[in-house]
Amino acid sequence: MSDPTSSPSSRVQSWRTWLLTEFPASPAQARLGRVYVIWLRFSANRLALTGLGVLIALLLVAAFADVLAPHSAVQGDLMNARLLPPGSPGYLLGTDGQGRDILSRLLQGSRLTLLVVALVAVTAAPIGLLVGTVAGYAGGWLDAVLMRVTDIFLAFPKLVLAMALVAALGPGIENAILAIAIVSWPPYARVARAETMTVRGSDYIAAVRLMGASPGRIVVRHIMPLCLSSLIVRVTLDMAGIILTAAGLGFLGLGAQPPLPEWGAMIATGRRFILDQWWVAAMPGIAILIVSLGFNLLGDGLRDALDPKEADS
Amino acid sequence: MTMSIPRLRIRRALLGASLALGLSLSLTLGAPRVYAETPKDTLVLAWAFDDIITMDPGESFEISTAEILGNVYSTLVRLNIDDTSEVLPSIAESWTVSDDALTYTFTLKPGITFASGNPITAEDVAFSFERAIKMDKGPAFILAQFGLTGENITEKAKALDAGTFQFTVDKPYAPSFVLNCLTATVAMVVDKKLVTEHAEAVTPSAESPYDTDFGNGWLKTHYAGSGPFILRDWRANEVLVLERNDTYFGEKAKLARVLYRHLKESAGQRLALEAGDIDVARNLEPGDLVALEANKDIAIESQSKGTVYYFSLNQKNPILAKPKVREAIKYLVDDKAIGATLIKGIGTLHQTYIPAGMLGAIDDRPYHLDVDKAKTLLAEAGLPDGFTVTMDVRTIQPVTGIAESIQQTFAQAGITLEIIPGDGKQVLTKYRARNHDIYIGQWGTDYWDPNSNAETFSSNPDNADDASSKTLAWRNAWDIPALTEETASALLERDTAKRAATYADLQRKVLADGPFVLLYQQTEVGAYRINVKDYRLGPSFDTNYVDKTFKE
Repeated sequence: MSDPTSSPSSRVQSWRTWLLTEFPASPAQARLGRVYVIWLRFSANRLALTGLGVLIALLLVAAFADVLAPHSAVQGDLMNARLLPPGSPGYLLGTDGQGRDILSRLLQGSRLTLLVVALVAVTAAPIGLLVGTVAGYAGGWLDAVLMRVTDIFLAFPKLVLAMALVAALGPGIENAILAIAIVSWPPYARVARAETMTVRGSDYIAAVRLMGASPGRIVVRHIMPLCLSSLIVRVTLDMAGIILTAAGLGFLGLGAQPPLPEWGAMIATGRRFILDQWWVAAMPGIAILIVSLGFNLLGDGLRDALDPKEADS
Repeated sequence: MTMSIPRLRIRRALLGASLALGLSLSLTLGAPRVYAETPKDTLVLAWAFDDIITMDPGESFEISTAEILGNVYSTLVRLNIDDTSEVLPSIAESWTVSDDALTYTFTLKPGITFASGNPITAEDVAFSFERAIKMDKGPAFILAQFGLTGENITEKAKALDAGTFQFTVDKPYAPSFVLNCLTATVAMVVDKKLVTEHAEAVTPSAESPYDTDFGNGWLKTHYAGSGPFILRDWRANEVLVLERNDTYFGEKAKLARVLYRHLKESAGQRLALEAGDIDVARNLEPGDLVALEANKDIAIESQSKGTVYYFSLNQKNPILAKPKVREAIKYLVDDKAIGATLIKGIGTLHQTYIPAGMLGAIDDRPYHLDVDKAKTLLAEAGLPDGFTVTMDVRTIQPVTGIAESIQQTFAQAGITLEIIPGDGKQVLTKYRARNHDIYIGQWGTDYWDPNSNAETFSSNPDNADDASSKTLAWRNAWDIPALTEETASALLERDTAKRAATYADLQRKVLADGPFVLLYQQTEVGAYRINVKDYRLGPSFDTNYVDKTFKE
C-alpha cells in the first residue's frame, strides 16, 4: 500500500485506484467510481468535449453578457450606424436595420436561448419521465390512456403544434417556452416507458415489492433512476431541436417580440437585407448553428458514455 | 404476339419522352438560364395585389383594385394628374353647376361606346350611381354623403335625355368637393345593358330590400366598362391581364397588353427586374431601391401619394388622454433618422394630415426627437418615471421597423412600449373596436379632396361606442365638438382660398393637441427598365394609368 502523504502524482494515482476499485467500500465510493468511469469514457471523445466546451462557453457568455457586450442590445443608432458591415470600427459583427450592434445582440440573445432550453428541459423532461414510468409500471388502462394521449401529441409535427399553441396563447417568449414544453414531453414519456417495461419484471423490483414498497415508492426510487441516463441523453440531443423550434417561432414572429434579441427573430428581420447585407441574417444563423451543433455533439458523447451496454466492453 | 409489338412501341416512345424530358430538365438546371425579353407591345409589372377582393367598382374599396379599375373604367370626370386642383372631362364633355350649388348637369360626349359595343348614355351613368347606393357597399358613402338614399337616388341622379345627366346634392357644397368625389372608383360608369343581363334575382332581406343583386355577383370577376384597357383576366394572387380597348373614346392606349404578376417580396421583384423578366417592379424596399438606382438599365419613378402614415393614442387610456403626455410622445419620434433610413425613397416626412399636393396642405413640422423636453413634459404630467403602453402593429414593412425605432426612442424617456404584432385584419379589427392603446398604420385618402382626411382626423360627431360615424377621431375616442363643427363648415365654403385656410387651421389644431402623431406621406415607387417610356404613377391609387406607356 502506498503512503498517503507521498508526491502529488502518486496521490492522483491513489485517487484513481480508489475510484476504479473493483471492491468499493461504500455506496458513495461505488457511485463516484461510476461517474468517474463515465467521465473517462466521455473525455476520450474529442467531439463530445468540443460540445461540452460550446455549452460552457454559452453559459459563460450568458452570465457575463452585460460585461462582454460593447453596446446596448436594444438601443441602436438608426441615423449613423445602420447596416454597417462586419469589422466596422466599434461593431465587430456589423449592425442591423435599426443600427444595433449585432455582436451585443447575439451575446444578450444567448440568455434567451439558454432560458428557453433550460425551462423546456426542467418542465418537459420531468413530465415525460413521470408519465412514461407510471404508464409503463401500471400497465392496463392507465397505460393505454396515457400512451394514447402521448400518441395524439406525437401525431402532429412539433413546430406546427407549437405554432398553433402560440397562436392561441398569444405571441411572446413565455408562451413560446410553454408551447415548446407542451410539445416536447411525449418523446420522453415514450423513452421512459420503454425503459420501465424492461426493468418492471426484474427480480430486484419484485424483491422491493415483496418488502412492502408502495407502487409510488417503486416508481420514484427504483425505476426513475434507471430511466434517467437514457432520458438525459435524449434531452441533450433534443436541445438542438428546442433551440431550432424557438428560433423558428421567433422567425415566424410568434416567439420573442422586439426589441428582444432572440436569434430566430434576428434572422427574420435580417431576411429583408439578405441580398445586400448578408451579415444581418448570417450572424445569428451562425450562432444557432454553433450552439445546436454543440448540443448535438454533447448529446452524442453522453449517449456513448452513458450506454450501459458499452460499459461492459 | 401481334399485341406485344405496339405495346413495345409505346414503351419505347415513353422511354424516349422521359429521356427527352430528363435531358431538357438537366439542360434548364445545368446550363445558364436564357432570359426571354418581354414582348414589345406588352408591359409586365411585378406587384403585390393580394388585397383584391372584387372587381365591381360599386363594391371595391381596396388599393390594388383602384389602380386596375382606373385603367379599365371611365368616370364622368377625371382628376388631372398634373394639376390635382382641377378635374378633366372624361365621359362628360362639359358640366354646369346651378347658382344654388345644388344641381350639377353633365353633357356626355356624343357617340361613345363601352368595350362591349353598347353606347354610353346618361342612363348608364344613372344606373351606375343607383346600384352603388342601393348595394350600399364599402365605398357607397362617397356618394351617399350628398344626401343620396335608396329611396331618392332615381330622382337625385337621373338621365334628362340620352346625353344629359343631372345630379342633385342636398347642401350647397364646394363644387370642387363634389366633382372630386365623382372621380372616385365608386362613381365609375358601368354598362347597364351588360350588367342587367347578368343580374341575379335575390330574396329581399332587412339588409337589402331589393330583389336583384344589380349584377354584383357577376361583376366581381367580370368587366363592363369603357376604359383605355379592358380587363381580360384576373386570377387571384397570380396574374392580372389588361388588353387594349380599341373602341376607347379617348386617345388609344399604346400597349397592346399589360400583365401584372403577383410577386410579393421586394428582393424577388428586384432580381426579376435585373434579369429582365419583368419591366416594372412596384413593391421595392429602400435597400433594394438604392441597389437598383445604381443600375444603369433601370430608372425609378416616384410619386407622392395621398396616403399618410401615423400612430394614434387612444383617449380611452387615461395616461394617453393627458395633453402633456400626448405632447411628450410627439417629441419622442426620431423623425429625421426614420426619414433618412427606414422610409428613404418611399416616403417624405409629413406631420399634418392633408397630404402635400392637395388643397389645404401645409408643411408644418414642429416636432423632432427631444428626449429632455419629453421627460420634462412627462414629469409635468405626473409621470416622471414613464409608463408602460402597448402598440398594435401590422407585421409589414416599413411599419414594424418604424415601431421598433419608436420603441427605442420611447425607452429613452422611460416609456416602455410593448409591440403587439398581428396581421392587418386583426390589428384593424381591434382598432375599429377602440380596444387599442396605440395603433400604427396608414390612412389613404378616399377621394382627392381635403374633406376625406379632414372628416376622419378632425371630426367626431358622436363619441359614443355605438356611434354611426366612426371616424379616426372616433376610433381614438377623441371628443372634439368644436373641431367637428369647423370641419363641417369647410365643406360648404365655396371660396377655394378660404376653404384652404380653414383646413390649414384645422390641421394646426390637430397637430398641436390631437392624439395623432403623423409620421410621413407615402411615396409610391416603381422601378422600370429603361426601354419602358412614359411610365408614370399618379397621385392617387386609381390614377396609376398605363395607357400612355410604351416600350422601345
